[in-house]
Amino acid sequence: MSHHASPARLSRRSVLNVLLSVGVLGWLASVLYPVIRYLTPLPLVGPGGPVQLTRSEVTKIERDKFAIVPVGRRRVLVLEDSEGELRALDAKCTHEGCTVKYMPRDSLIVCACHNGRFDLQGRVVAGPPPKPLATYAVQRDEEGVIKVTV
Amino acid sequence: MSTARADKRLYRWIDERYGVSPLIEFLRHKEVPLGAHPLFWYFLGGTTLFFFAVQIVSGVLLLVYYQPGENTSYESIRYITTKVPFGWLVRSVHCWSAHLMIVSLVVHMLSTMMLKAYRPPRELTWLTGFLLFNLALGFGFSGYLLPWNELAFFATAVGTDSVKSVPVVGNWLLQVMRGGPDVTINTVYRFFALHICILPILTVGLITVHLIFIQRQGMAPPIAKHVAPRGMRFFPNFALRDLLWWILCLAALLVLALLLPYGPGIPGVEWELGQKADPLAPAYPGIKPEWYFLWIYQLLKEFPPHLFGLEGPQVCLAVVSLLMTTWALVPWLDRKARRDEPSPAFTDFGVGAMLFITFLMLKAWDIGAGAVADGGFPDPAAVARPCAWILLAVAVAVTAVRIAVYRDRWFVFSGAAVLHAVLHGLVGLPYLAAGAIAAAAAALATGFTVARGRTSAMPAGGGH
Repeated sequence: MSHHASPARLSRRSVLNVLLSVGVLGWLASVLYPVIRYLTPLPLVGPGGPVQLTRSEVTKIERDKFAIVPVGRRRVLVLEDSEGELRALDAKCTHEGCTVKYMPRDSLIVCACHNGRFDLQGRVVAGPPPKPLATYAVQRDEEGVIKVTV
Repeated sequence: MSTARADKRLYRWIDERYGVSPLIEFLRHKEVPLGAHPLFWYFLGGTTLFFFAVQIVSGVLLLVYYQPGENTSYESIRYITTKVPFGWLVRSVHCWSAHLMIVSLVVHMLSTMMLKAYRPPRELTWLTGFLLFNLALGFGFSGYLLPWNELAFFATAVGTDSVKSVPVVGNWLLQVMRGGPDVTINTVYRFFALHICILPILTVGLITVHLIFIQRQGMAPPIAKHVAPRGMRFFPNFALRDLLWWILCLAALLVLALLLPYGPGIPGVEWELGQKADPLAPAYPGIKPEWYFLWIYQLLKEFPPHLFGLEGPQVCLAVVSLLMTTWALVPWLDRKARRDEPSPAFTDFGVGAMLFITFLMLKAWDIGAGAVADGGFPDPAAVARPCAWILLAVAVAVTAVRIAVYRDRWFVFSGAAVLHAVLHGLVGLPYLAAGAIAAAAAALATGFTVARGRTSAMPAGGGH
């Protein structure tokens, strides 16, 4: 008797198991999805067009030959090379994200965290950074106003 | 009514309601195995637990004043250390006990490795312990950022940036950890929640599981000792010794916290508040993470920009993940210990791993670099040479003890770690090339040993 009954029972149980599994997965997804969306930060918006440097940032460039300024959601290294030309590069090291600095004496951009070195075009000269630093447009008008565009 | 009779009545009252007699009976018969090892090795888990308890108490005290925020994180820690009576002491105790907890956890894990206490049926005890070790590192990492000072900012920037190397979800994970694309005050909010809420809940839960396993299975007896083991009663004999040891630990902790309130001043073991974090300030030379992350920090330096078509940090993260996974799976990999036989190869694996990490840590500390020009970096070759000599001296001392005391005869992995250091530091090969040669030599030696047969490869003397 049970020999005939078992396949039908097994089949009903299998269907119920599948339904239950789908239900549990659906329930998990409905709980996890809002949590994941909640934890994911909203995209940052910042000025996309040219950003004018403040007076203190310009003074810093005159004094130290470089300044790190916020442009939109980026940190940008604005430096004045030995020939007085302005350059703007991403200040975030491509290795592990530390903030780089300009060494006027060596005409190099260095990252102190893992000893990464870049030339003034942003190309890797030494150390472990895997990519060059991105470069951005920078202009200085006759009145000394500096604008960076990323 | 005498006190004894009152106690009995209270006990009976509780027992009638909650049936605690079987539990008391279980604890009465609980024993610690004696004979093969010094009793000290059995104290280390409790020591770690003790420091964790100190962390909770001192952490709650810090919470009374600490406020996460752009204008409050750094300021509230400064207020605690400069204005609040004994605030400096509470913070000092919190920091010192964090470091001591990691030290005791590392020694506990190494002793478990050396004594092969992970072998069946205790694989899951090892695994929960390994997860607890990772949670402890998470505590250290998340707590480091909370003062929102310069050191914390760059340590967190580097530490979280590695996450982007995780395949597929790396960038999303990075954003979730940081609360945005960069380390900002949003990162502090997230790390604060992690540090004071999520990690403690996970840790307490996992400690409970770890302890239940130990209570159910007892402490691991020495390997390959099939004679009836001697034992010490846990209550009160071992528990009182444990208590005495905790009192000594507390005394040591307080002495350190009083004498060196901002740490011993070694990079990676210092917690001077310094300057407030400024995301627009460049990283300064000599910046280092905490000592237990130094080996990963140094390994990141050793990888070239690209390797095997991948970025250097990605390969580095893959290597670290592989090493950590191997460590977690040791109870399943060590087939000899599974058969309750001595497994000197895994003892040597533990020693080799420690030598490998020690060499990287020495290099990260720029040992022997001497004075460097302002803003400059030490010459890597000048650093590698003295580090290799120091490692060689440490390895010789450790090997001498292993031969003389433990009669070990298996040195393939520790030999490979020394060869690595010598080829890199003294011969001058690049770190990765030296490592590849040492790994190939270890693989050959292991293959040769296995081919010679187990009897000749594992002498009876290598008994732990």
